[in-house]
Amino acid sequence: MSGATEAANSEDTKVPFWKNQIFRLALLGLGIGVGLGALFLAIRPLFGPTEWHGMEIQSNLPVTNFTLTGLDEQPVSLVDFRDKVVMLYFGYTFCPDVCPATMVELRDAMEALGNRAEDVQVIMITVDPERDTPEILQAYLAHFDESFIGLTGTPEDLIAVTAPMGIFFERHEGSEASGYLIDHTATVAVLDKEGKLRLIYPFGVTGEEMAADLKYLVRE
Amino acid sequence: MAATVTKAGTPYKSSGMLIWRLFFGLFGLMAAGVIWFSTARPITVLPRITLAPGFYLSDQNGERFTSEDLRGQIVLYNFTYTNCTDPCVATSQVMAEVQSRLLTVDASVPLKLVTFSIDPDRDDAAQMAAYSTELGADGSVWHWATGGAKQLKSVIGGGFGVFYDVREDGRFKLDPAFFLVDGSGVIRAEYRTEEPDIDIIMRDFGLLAAEVDHSEGIYRFAYEAAHLFSCYPR
Repeated sequence: MSGATEAANSEDTKVPFWKNQIFRLALLGLGIGVGLGALFLAIRPLFGPTEWHGMEIQSNLPVTNFTLTGLDEQPVSLVDFRDKVVMLYFGYTFCPDVCPATMVELRDAMEALGNRAEDVQVIMITVDPERDTPEILQAYLAHFDESFIGLTGTPEDLIAVTAPMGIFFERHEGSEASGYLIDHTATVAVLDKEGKLRLIYPFGVTGEEMAADLKYLVRE
Repeated sequence: MAATVTKAGTPYKSSGMLIWRLFFGLFGLMAAGVIWFSTARPITVLPRITLAPGFYLSDQNGERFTSEDLRGQIVLYNFTYTNCTDPCVATSQVMAEVQSRLLTVDASVPLKLVTFSIDPDRDDAAQMAAYSTELGADGSVWHWATGGAKQLKSVIGGGFGVFYDVREDGRFKLDPAFFLVDGSGVIRAEYRTEEPDIDIIMRDFGLLAAEVDHSEGIYRFAYEAAHLFSCYPR
């Protein structure tokens, strides 16, 4: 009698696996896990990018201020842009390749930012003060974006500005047509609204990638 | 009757409870994972402090020597001048000791030492070469360099933030300091003392070398997470 009852009970407990309590719990857990993951991915952009497109710097101090010469011989200081995200580039207008390519990417970044571009200031500091007057610089930059600012200074001033920013430059002879050329570090430095160095873009980062990072920095 | 209650009532109640338990359980697991990662620090990194300065100088062979020449290499910098007595003797001994231990670091990128002379008037290439030879410097690993006084001030004072000044008797007042710079030209550690713990310097060389070795693929995300959670050495 007892054996027959156990056999009957055993038959009762043989339910399909999809009705099994443990299977259902596992499925539920998986569903919640996927849901949480999707929620995390959905709200993640609110807190910051999943990955910066440049090298992130964890500096607590603002970049040391400097003052150079802008259009109409006006002194322009880094602190003048404290409420903007500043993109610093060091190049020169006779630069045949790297500089115009970088300026195009910076222009694309500004375009991709749309209205938020007004919170970003692109500044190009020349490494060729002999040829790049403020007027020549401004005319050159206007080809890319009217809002870009060009700065120059004495060779001593420029060394004092470039060295701490990790910029090296060296003059060497070019062809008869190009005149002398200047080898220089081709990075773009990004400073936040407090003047702290936040990102370094090596040459090759696209304007679209820069804009993806900048949209977080302008919001801070 | 009892069976009806069980089938019709209890399962609904327990399923609702279960969903919340699972939700909080998974959330708790994620939070615990983050806390564990940031406290147990399974991966340790050095902070990206700031940019190391760019420079264009000349070395102990009289050849041009620039910051770009050191791209992709892990470099320990210090500052001295060959007529220096104190504290440069001690700092040069530290550099010599580090040089002798560099081969113990498992690295896929070159590890270098660079000493800047702050006394360009007296330390020409020949003088730096003779002095570095005295210290047992291997010219392929340990570079010596100097340049114009103004440029040096911009690089050492402005870039590295190291104070030095010449005294009336020709000697220099110099704050002893060492800086470890990664292959991207970013300062990753600084040791502002005359005699830093060489074991710590070697450990830091190892941390940077390991980060380079894990800079691609899935490991890269783990290392970036270590930066995000400030998993720095204690």
